[in-house]
Amino acid sequence: MFALSCSRLLLQALPKQPVTPRATAQCIRSLRTSQQETLKKDDMPIKMENPFKSPPKTCILCNVTVDFKNVQLLSQFISPHTGRIYGRHITGLCGRKQKEVSKAIKKARSMGFMSVTLKDPQFIKDPDICGIKHSE
Amino acid sequence: MPRYELCVILKAMQRPETAAVLRRTVETLFERGAVVRSLENLGERRLPYKISKHDSRHTHGGYFSIDFHASPKIVSELLDHLERDIDVLRPTVLKKDIELSKTQCCGTQSEKAKSATSR
Repeated sequence: MFALSCSRLLLQALPKQPVTPRATAQCIRSLRTSQQETLKKDDMPIKMENPFKSPPKTCILCNVTVDFKNVQLLSQFISPHTGRIYGRHITGLCGRKQKEVSKAIKKARSMGFMSVTLKDPQFIKDPDICGIKHSE
Repeated sequence: MPRYELCVILKAMQRPETAAVLRRTVETLFERGAVVRSLENLGERRLPYKISKHDSRHTHGGYFSIDFHASPKIVSELLDHLERDIDVLRPTVLKKDIELSKTQCCGTQSEKAKSATSR
């Protein structure tokens, strides 16, 4: 295999002008080594940052402050039929944000900002974040 | 002095009466040595559920938020005072903490969560 590749290299290395049969073994050897050196210099991978790196995965509420007064935002994470808070597997939030949302909803309910058993009718038409399909 | 937020729901009243109640509240705060930072009107809305307070059932209320600095000793007295006030439906005093530094929100944490749930 190595011999074959060597011969191929030699063929590529051979200049367009006809080589005189007087080329000695020393000459061919020098051709091969110089070619290998140039190949080594060109073939080495260029050090760069991974261009196919995916952006860091974030949840929807990354860099969004969750406040108990923001009833519209909190209402997006509760069921429209029962007013129950959706679990992590439905909302898709990270641990920290899910806890913040849950705490804020409970705070809002006790303080008289948000209803317990239903979703405020004006917020029913809001875009669906959780993607849950209720059986109709 | 720690920072508190008083979120109060007042009875749905006319403007001069609401102003009088707010004035009363802020004056009690001043009496107890609080430094009021701001007073915000969050609007008069329909209550999420009917609140029965002071022998009547209410459906509408005015929401107000008062930001203030005060000593922790006055908080319980203040709540007691507000509970007795006829025009106040629901007083709540919350501690307002300084926002935590945004230490890498999500990112690696969400990956861990997703891998955990996928298993």
